[in-house]
Amino acid sequence: MIIGSQKPIDEIWSMVKDFKKVLVFACNTCVAICHAGGEKEAETIATLLRMRAGQEGKSMEVNFASVVRHCEPEYFEPVMEELQKYDLILSTACGVGVNFLSDRTGKIPVYPGINTSFYGAVESPGNFVELCAGCGNCILHLTGGICPIARCSKTLMNGPCGGTNKGKCEISPDVDCAWYLIVERMKKLGNLEKLAEIQPPRNWSTSRDGGPRRVSLEHIRAYEEQEELKSETAGGKK
Amino acid sequence: MSDVISKDEEHEMSADSAVEKKGTHLERMAPVKDSRPYSPCRAACPVNTDVQAYVGFIAQGRYNEAFEVIRSVNPIASVCSMICHHPCEQSCRRCNVDEPLAVRPLKRFVLESTTEYRRNKRKLVEKTKGKSIGIVGSGPSGLTAANDLADLGYQVSIYERHPVLGGMLASAIPPYRLPRKTLQEDIDDVISKGIEVRTGCEIGRDITISDIISKHDAVLLALGLSQSRSLNIPGVDGPGVLLAIPFLEDVAFGRKPALGGRVLVIGGGNVAMDVARSARRLGVNNVEMICLESAEEMPAWKWEVDEAVEEGISIHHRWGPKAVSREGDKVKGLEVVKVTQVFDTNGRFSPAFDNNQTKFIEADTIIITIGQMANVSFLKDSPVQVDERGRVVWDPKTHMSSARGVFCSGEVVTGPGSAIAAAASGHRSAMAIHLYLQGENIEGRLPSYEKEKIPQLPSEVVERITKEPRMKIKHLPPETRCSSFTAFEFNYDEEEALKEAGRCRGCGGGAVVDTKKCMACLTCQRVCPYGAPVVTSVSEIRPEYCQACGLCAPECPGEAISMVSYDVREFRDALPSVIGSVDPKRQDPVIVAFLCSHHVGVLGFSLPENIRKVAVHCTSRIDVNDLLKALECGADGVAVVRCSSATCKYKGIENRVKARVERTKQLVSMLGMEAGRVGILTADSNDVASYSSVCEEFANGIRQMGLRTR
Ligand SMILES: Cc1cc2nc3c(=O)[nH]c(=O)nc-3n(C[C@H](O)[C@H](O)[C@H](O)COP(=O)(O)OP(=O)(O)OC[C@H]3O[C@@H](n4cnc5c(N)ncnc54)[C@H](O)[C@@H]3O)c2cc1C
Ligand code: SF4
Ligand code: SF4
Ligand code: SF4
Repeated sequence: MIIGSQKPIDEIWSMVKDFKKVLVFACNTCVAICHAGGEKEAETIATLLRMRAGQEGKSMEVNFASVVRHCEPEYFEPVMEELQKYDLILSTACGVGVNFLSDRTGKIPVYPGINTSFYGAVESPGNFVELCAGCGNCILHLTGGICPIARCSKTLMNGPCGGTNKGKCEISPDVDCAWYLIVERMKKLGNLEKLAEIQPPRNWSTSRDGGPRRVSLEHIRAYEEQEELKSETAGGKK
Repeated sequence: MSDVISKDEEHEMSADSAVEKKGTHLERMAPVKDSRPYSPCRAACPVNTDVQAYVGFIAQGRYNEAFEVIRSVNPIASVCSMICHHPCEQSCRRCNVDEPLAVRPLKRFVLESTTEYRRNKRKLVEKTKGKSIGIVGSGPSGLTAANDLADLGYQVSIYERHPVLGGMLASAIPPYRLPRKTLQEDIDDVISKGIEVRTGCEIGRDITISDIISKHDAVLLALGLSQSRSLNIPGVDGPGVLLAIPFLEDVAFGRKPALGGRVLVIGGGNVAMDVARSARRLGVNNVEMICLESAEEMPAWKWEVDEAVEEGISIHHRWGPKAVSREGDKVKGLEVVKVTQVFDTNGRFSPAFDNNQTKFIEADTIIITIGQMANVSFLKDSPVQVDERGRVVWDPKTHMSSARGVFCSGEVVTGPGSAIAAAASGHRSAMAIHLYLQGENIEGRLPSYEKEKIPQLPSEVVERITKEPRMKIKHLPPETRCSSFTAFEFNYDEEEALKEAGRCRGCGGGAVVDTKKCMACLTCQRVCPYGAPVVTSVSEIRPEYCQACGLCAPECPGEAISMVSYDVREFRDALPSVIGSVDPKRQDPVIVAFLCSHHVGVLGFSLPENIRKVAVHCTSRIDVNDLLKALECGADGVAVVRCSSATCKYKGIENRVKARVERTKQLVSMLGMEAGRVGILTADSNDVASYSSVCEEFANGIRQMGLRTR
């Protein structure tokens, strides 16, 4: 899932301070699970903002609300009218949600209440780790299920580098060396010899470097497009 | 403008805001609670009294609301608070830990704490339905039906052959168990709705059944079992042999029955106990009983038997009456025969005797207490059919007799039972009459009190519950109590009641998940000290495990968890009114103290005016957002006051609560506020004064820090 972390209240305040009516708008999926932007955190942020407004002698109305997910339009439908009552929506969804909502709120700005950090897992309660970089061309079968793109500081495909140090990465003794982990894992799997194969340079066009990405499923789109067309003509819009 | 709130006002204020909020929270939760299995105490109660809910209110010092919970289903609440056989206690889940909750005594505490409140509530109910109902008999069943029908807007008339209302409660149950002024409170509640009362009016003697039927749109026969059964043995007829009900009626109405120096009571049920113990109170020192059953087989409640024995009454077990022996007219004693069996192998009552084993018990008076039967002779030649065994013919599915518009309820049709079971029957018959008068179908629409219940506590939960003995109820010593008919049992004082209420495990009042908001994050499953939540695609909180501690609710990132019986947001919403407007020229810091109500309850330990206390069911329910809210409302400091872990009613709470306080400190620091304005304090729950001293110490710290300007 997507892991996020709250922005410092000072930073949020500098974004919102000139608005009169602010809605802290939570997403109750990924960012809720990582205790960054679910309904409970939205309430906390709303309270802190009201207190801050009080400290600064500003009159500002701050409320909070939530929906299940910010990344599908249907979830917004029941609240769209309510959203129109605000000058600013401070979304505590991940960046996807902020983008997605901004496209739909017309003149009302949507600002981010959290930093979207990475795709990660809940290693233990309160401990979230990055395990995938969404590169668009998965090679985990070659590396024993350990992603060198997300977990190696240098994104090496043929590691480790000379900086590996007793299992740790040279950037910090708190960071595991992904290639050390890969070697140990491959030993355990009895596949160590596979690592002798040199991986050719990667084609990064499937990743961020190829520009904005989209996945479009032909079998679903073909049907949906027809339906959309039908409803448009039925509605007599065009 | 002063923000000074006097103690009384303060109490009222938080209670008021709670009532307002309670309405909505409990209203919202009522369908949820109803759709889930009931706590076993509630399921066992013949009218499904929500014991968990009212005991929860007691623990929070909210006695009026506790009264409302009880009274909403039980019009003879005061009566039950004295004499109910309390099946709730027998099925309490605490039985597996130590002893059941003292539900009946707690009910008494509520009823005696709310007398003024209920009296002030009495008022006439407008008669909107334009139809009238005649109720014959004013026992629990008739009174309950009258109550419900009056509430629905019907004109109700009660006909009662005795000079007072109450049925067996007034005419048979001796006043040392049920003081008449207690009974009167219940009767007054009902009568004040505007009910016509005709006491001293016996149907069949003073007016005929046909008169009543023609006078009313519907009639309810709530006649009870008003006649004692007698024995068919030699010597039984004549002076010196009495029957239970006439004897108890004499006692009830202050007519001293003539008794000899040695009284022998025949019977082993509860009525027999009342008879024997009444005889003791009439000055007879030598009271004995015989019964067919052994001590274990006796139908009388064990506590009744124990109390009788304490009062010097001796019981001859497993003897059956054979003949009354007389010298002339005078009773000399009873010849008895040994019982070899009471029940057959199928558990059916089928006594057998060994005629070779007999003995003679000397006595001057014998009182036969072997059961009651209905007196329905006045129904002869009426449209209401009576079967060959003298029972009114009725349909339990509609409560209707063989005559259209004539209904029956209570013991006359259900047979002997308890007062509260008769009341349940009264509720059903009232609904039947209402449906009938509205021209609607009755079958399948009467209230059913058969509900699925939460299973017993799993053993791994039992292990995690601290043993706390039940608060003892004080009694007058036997020597004193036998000299009069005054009540011998004392009410709990407030401290005892609060302690006892704190023992309840809140079964069925705990956490529920709004599945629309749950994102299956596993937090509740990780947090719960009792293993109640199981998260699959959403969380499901298993009521048999949940102890209603509330620890999970503030942790849920989606705010998906509510507590059925305790609004976790209730005190947050009440904070603005608890804090009031903060005087900018104040000398003392305004402190909000969230106090665990479990050990101190809302006992009147004094806190200075500037420390505003918010009693919470357990500090486990306090959320970061509650603490922030207090500061937002202008408090100079906010403290969570915990009992020490050793006395906490729940396990594994402390560190979570500490973590929430730490988080709040972090957040307020981000606003440039001193972290020390938020504190967690520990008081000694055995020393009420320590709650004030830790709060005052905290307030002093805040004073030194300085008052907040913004
Ligand atoms: C001695 C004794 C002790 C008891 N102790 C307990 C106890 O501790 N706890 C408990 O839960 N239950 C106890 N009970 C049982 C309880 O009293 C009954 O369950 C309950 O009273 C039954 O209610 P009812 O409304 O069906 O009938 P009743 O209470 O019997 O009321 C029927 C009423 O109808 C009146 N009536 C009958 N015929 C006519 C007529 N023709 N015209 C006018 N009025 C008429 C009667 O006078 C009576 O007042 C006790 C019963 C007795 C006898
Ligand atoms: S512990 Fe409380 S709620 Fe549970 S069965 Fe006993 S009285 Fe009822
Ligand atoms: S803590 Fe809340 S969101 Fe998470 S599993 Fe439990 S109920 Fe669901
Ligand atoms: S944490 Fe407490 S309230 Fe929540 S499910 Fe567990 S026992 Fe019930």
